[in-house]
Amino acid sequence: MARIELTNLRKQWASAAAVAGVDLAIEDGAFIAVLGPSGCGKSTTLMMLAGIYSPTAGDIVFDGARVNDVEARDRNVGIVFQSYALYPNMSVLENVMFPLRFKKVERSEAERRARETAALVQIAPLLDRRPSQLSGGQQQRVALARALVKRPHLLLLDEPLSNLDASLRLSMRTEIRRIQRELGVTTILVTHDQIEATTMADRIVVMNAGRVEQVGTAKELYERPHTLFVATFVGSPPINLFDARAEAGTLRVHEANLSLSGAAGGAVVLGIRPESLRVESAGTPARVTAAEPMGREVLYTAQGPMGVVRFLEAGAEARHREGDSLLLAFSPQESLLFDKATGQRLEAHVSA
Amino acid sequence: MAADTFATVAGAAAEAGATSSAAAGARPDWPALARRARVKRAAGQSALLAFLLIVSLPIILPYFWMVVISFTARSGGVSTEVLWTTCAVVVPAVMIYIVVHLMAPSPRVRMVAGVLLLMTVGALLASLVGGQLHLANYRFLWRTNIIEEIRSKATAGGQFPSVWIAFRNSLLLAFSQTAIILTVASLAGYYISRFAFRGREAFLQGMLVLHAFPAMTLIIPIFLILHWVGLLDTMAGVILVLATIELPFYVFILKGFFDAVPWDIEMSAMTDGATRRQAFRLVVLPQIKVGLIAVAVFAFIRAWEEYIFVRTLLIENKNWVMSLYLFWVSDDIMGVDYGIVAAVSVFYVVPSLLLYVFCQKYLTQMTIGGIRG
Repeated sequence: MARIELTNLRKQWASAAAVAGVDLAIEDGAFIAVLGPSGCGKSTTLMMLAGIYSPTAGDIVFDGARVNDVEARDRNVGIVFQSYALYPNMSVLENVMFPLRFKKVERSEAERRARETAALVQIAPLLDRRPSQLSGGQQQRVALARALVKRPHLLLLDEPLSNLDASLRLSMRTEIRRIQRELGVTTILVTHDQIEATTMADRIVVMNAGRVEQVGTAKELYERPHTLFVATFVGSPPINLFDARAEAGTLRVHEANLSLSGAAGGAVVLGIRPESLRVESAGTPARVTAAEPMGREVLYTAQGPMGVVRFLEAGAEARHREGDSLLLAFSPQESLLFDKATGQRLEAHVSA
Repeated sequence: MAADTFATVAGAAAEAGATSSAAAGARPDWPALARRARVKRAAGQSALLAFLLIVSLPIILPYFWMVVISFTARSGGVSTEVLWTTCAVVVPAVMIYIVVHLMAPSPRVRMVAGVLLLMTVGALLASLVGGQLHLANYRFLWRTNIIEEIRSKATAGGQFPSVWIAFRNSLLLAFSQTAIILTVASLAGYYISRFAFRGREAFLQGMLVLHAFPAMTLIIPIFLILHWVGLLDTMAGVILVLATIELPFYVFILKGFFDAVPWDIEMSAMTDGATRRQAFRLVVLPQIKVGLIAVAVFAFIRAWEEYIFVRTLLIENKNWVMSLYLFWVSDDIMGVDYGIVAAVSVFYVVPSLLLYVFCQKYLTQMTIGGIRG
């Protein structure tokens, strides 16, 4: 269990910077998700934490001590890879006991601890098998047991669920969360799946192009995104974005004029989430061009003076058909404005 | 009786089905299609088997002949009578077995047929040629001066050595080859696969070029170098030369195997507390077991069958290896006693044959630069 700090962490490859200055503090026992598209530097950051890559610049601090030069094998970090990286030549028990081989633990004690950890992740009946005889979900549990058996300071999960099928992913999510709470181990989950990040982690770090865009809870990221990138990346179906011009109290979007409150000027981007738009008796006119039932709700695509807009309505059945004309309204608090040049969010709102 | 009736009824029904389908013009005639597919498959299989049989004859026949000669030839000449008699018995038996194999899918029938055929062949051979078999040609195994007995004088510098000296030298050469190549090629292959270093590309290309370059062209320089460093006519000299010439190829092969081992596994081992060396030994090496076995077998057999370099670099008869022993035997008594030459050849072939048989499982799993699925 450890408190982790990263200060101005950088990793420069020959051609480009994979990580371009990351500052982050993680409380002891916290569960953090690092969320970002592929190539944003999240896995590189993880590898630097594990000690496999050494940083080009910056510090990695475990419990107040700089560990940059400490070798991977001495960092006491447990890691679960996307591919699980089990050792195919060893049985499950040998796999789980492997990390204890290099510590001064007696064989009987090592086996006791391995069995205990196996019970925790519910693979006790599988201990004599080979990794090739296990299903994906079972391999995942073995990898987790192997990472946990040495009681790591820090548990790193590199896209651990992306190779599982949908229902297994759901159960492993709760399972991993349960185990993490039970052991109280500081955990960092790297993922590109926002559902995984929001459901499992206490706090989410959104990364893009080697930098941290925002750190916050799922609610903060969703309601008050700091940047256009965070607004686009978090939320499904994706946010509606409109290029707009702000001038003296009005916002011109395509053919529509909206009233603007707050400080904004020049080229901006207006963002409205599909679930913020409601069909009401007053609002922006729009004509439905497509209706897609998604189970509990229906996603509509409509054409209006602002351009193409998508909105959600609860209910399994579509209440509007293609060609229907309707009026769309949203509350000013739910409208997000971003500076087009910098991508930063502006303290301003619009209303129809 | 009941079965007969059933068959008739079924046949009638099938016929009725055929006519009605023809009338309807839409439903395909499934039984006829199935029959056609079966006939086609059987024909294809027989054609393939016949082809394989024919092309393997020129390969199998000389070896077979060699074995036959070694057990039948008597001093003075060699007759082909036993060979043809044996072939006349064995070839029809193989044909019959193939026919049985094609006709009967059940493994029990196949096995019974196989056992019966084996027994028939055994009995026929025993009665037809059994009287002509003898072991006298293998007397070189326990007598040393056999060539002197036949020719009164051997040309190969005095007395002929015991075959076991040559056998021991061959084993020494083959085992040290295997050991050197396994050690160096696995370490070098791993390094080239995993580490970036200046000149890596050039190094890889250089190795391939070295392999493409006929080593034979180096034979005079190598002879001179060994002479100057005092390793001419020593086993150590030959071992070093052969290892040097063979290594690039095996390094390249093992590099391919290491490439196929995922990095994750190694990284995982290192975060689990292993040093790089421990990760290599405990986690990476076991992954390429198949490659290591294949390389070991090839290196062993390559050294076992080596002729040109040992012929050039080993001179005294205490340093003979099996290929040299065979060469001198045939050089001295070819035309006088084929039986002994054939017997020595059989003795020379057996170890590599055994090795192939036992390691065949691994060799067939090997694909260059890949790993089994």
